[in-house]
Amino acid sequence: MNVFQRACRSCIRKPVKSILLLMAAGIISLLFLSGMASRSANIAAKDSTRQAIGAGFLLENNPENRSKRLSEASEKIAELYPDGVGSYGGVHLDKITVNGAENWRTRTDNSFESLRMDDIEKIAKNTEGLSGYNVTTVPTAVKPGNFTRIEDPDTDQSNDFQGVTLIGNLDMSMDSNVLSGNVTIKEGRMTNREDTNVCVISEELAEENKLHPGDTISFHSVEAEEPVQEVTIVGIYQVKEKMQPYMSGDTFRSENVIFTDLHVPEKVEQDDPLYEKAYFKVADVDDYEKVKERIKETDIDWQRYDLIDNQGNLDTMAENFNDLESISNVLLLIVAGAGFVILSLIFIFWIRNRTREIGILMSLGISKGRILLQILTEAVLIGWMAAALSLIAAPQVTRMAAGYLTDQQVQQAELSKEQNAGKVATDYQAPELTVTSVEANLTPEMILADFFGITGLILLSVSAAGSLILVRKPRDLLSEMS
Amino acid sequence: MLEARDITYFYKSKKDQAVLNQVSAVFEEGIFYAIVGPSGSGKTTFLSLLAGLDTPVSGRILCSGEEIQKKGLNYHRSHNISLVFQNYNLIDYLTVTENVKLGGRKNAEELLSEVGIPKEAWKRNVCQLSGGQQQRVAIARALCSEAKVLLADEPTGNLDEETAEGIIGLLKKTAHELGKCVVVVTHSRRLAEEADEILELKEGRLKMR
Repeated sequence: MNVFQRACRSCIRKPVKSILLLMAAGIISLLFLSGMASRSANIAAKDSTRQAIGAGFLLENNPENRSKRLSEASEKIAELYPDGVGSYGGVHLDKITVNGAENWRTRTDNSFESLRMDDIEKIAKNTEGLSGYNVTTVPTAVKPGNFTRIEDPDTDQSNDFQGVTLIGNLDMSMDSNVLSGNVTIKEGRMTNREDTNVCVISEELAEENKLHPGDTISFHSVEAEEPVQEVTIVGIYQVKEKMQPYMSGDTFRSENVIFTDLHVPEKVEQDDPLYEKAYFKVADVDDYEKVKERIKETDIDWQRYDLIDNQGNLDTMAENFNDLESISNVLLLIVAGAGFVILSLIFIFWIRNRTREIGILMSLGISKGRILLQILTEAVLIGWMAAALSLIAAPQVTRMAAGYLTDQQVQQAELSKEQNAGKVATDYQAPELTVTSVEANLTPEMILADFFGITGLILLSVSAAGSLILVRKPRDLLSEMS
Repeated sequence: MLEARDITYFYKSKKDQAVLNQVSAVFEEGIFYAIVGPSGSGKTTFLSLLAGLDTPVSGRILCSGEEIQKKGLNYHRSHNISLVFQNYNLIDYLTVTENVKLGGRKNAEELLSEVGIPKEAWKRNVCQLSGGQQQRVAIARALCSEAKVLLADEPTGNLDEETAEGIIGLLKKTAHELGKCVVVVTHSRRLAEEADEILELKEGRLKMR
């Protein structure tokens, strides 16, 4: 009778010890699979998060510099105009009478407030490592011409323009609302840099006015009913969450936001363009810091601008998902360590309970090595059976484990985001929906790794426990059993 | 066949008190030996040394003129000797036949018939047999081996008189009919009387009676 035959008989005919090992190995295998599946799920979620958020830089006017420019322009007006009433560099000083009293009024126009397009283009052209850029206008209130807006009777309309909001983009696909994953196209397409006089309207607005891509809508400015600007609808968008109103009143509510090509707002207002922000998309996220340095080397008046790292959310999310990956790795290590201890204890229990059998086999001239081989064969057979059985429950358990770990990390990310609120100036939101819909799948590689892991643990544990036999003389074992 | 030359043995905890002191003996094939002596006289220790379950502090054990450690104690136990114990020492998860087959390559069923185990018991688990039957299975397992020496430690110690008689008969048969060297350690006067030669261990010395 060979080792394998004896091992099989021992496994089947001594079921209590076999079931004990089967349960322990099954749980260890299940935890192994959960850990591996969670880790790969994390990586997948992180990658999709990276893709969704991307990495880039936001260019905005520096508020301090704006104040400085404003006072400089005012001084210049005082120099140029003895009565102090005049204009310089987009700043206008005049006198107004309020309640019979004369007051000075300072106004700025779009040429003063806007980002300079030549500076934006200089950055875009001179910086290696950018995959594209976008310019976004300030949300501009205009009045609808041939369509009706979405009204909310409960909203305070006392200061409302009775209009809709236009947001012009050079490339709508890089608008903050789109990058965040909140705005997606339901029908048609987004606006792009080749477009002229086109727009993308909300699904609610389209439904209200029975509008479709290809139809034309018109606007005029808040101040005058002429000229009327006609634009063609190229797409209809939908939102996951309502966009925050930019100001009070229905003009600025989410459904009344219309995305246009870059120049529609200025055409409607019959004024200079007012570019609020520019976004520069980094081609390779790993080159982020290098690209940042290159942008700063561009020869423009940097006093005027703030270059904002638009990676704040990505950093937060990546940090949390790296944590999650680490947690999964730690979980695997703990399972391996605890598994080794548990299995070693089980094998010590096995061997102590089999001293008599081991002594008998030794007295028959069977070597210690072959006896250990029999125990190892039994353990591996049961271990493999446990690993195979764990595959039945593994998909459910891995989903639960991955879901739990992900929830924990998303909560942590939220907490971190709240703590960092205001530190990173960005409209971009972490796409939580992408993250929470994480899926943990078992791959053949994981199953193979699980079998190898269980086998390895059993080998180590049997070796550790087997040293109890190897150091003892056959006679000691025989005298112990008799 | 099996020879002990100047064997000395003491326990590590009692180095000044030798269990066996310069013990020498020669055991020949076809002879039934009984080793007797008071409790603690070193009978089982001597048998363990002959079986290669332990090693003497000094002296040598030879089998067919060759020192047993030369080919290894495992080899000695599997090829030169077979053992029968007082408490039978059968593997509890194997059947009667499977236990006998552990001893060697001879026909297990034939041996079981020879030792008087009924055929209906062959496929049963050994734990389902009586004490006497288990000892017969243990002897069948010992006989299954090609070994020329059968060493037995109190083989009738747990058995009633009638059953013990049967076992004694089997051991005599093994020595006289199968030509094996049978060495039995026993307290049983009845068993010792049946032996061809009786050796007495007393105060670490072995004497022929």
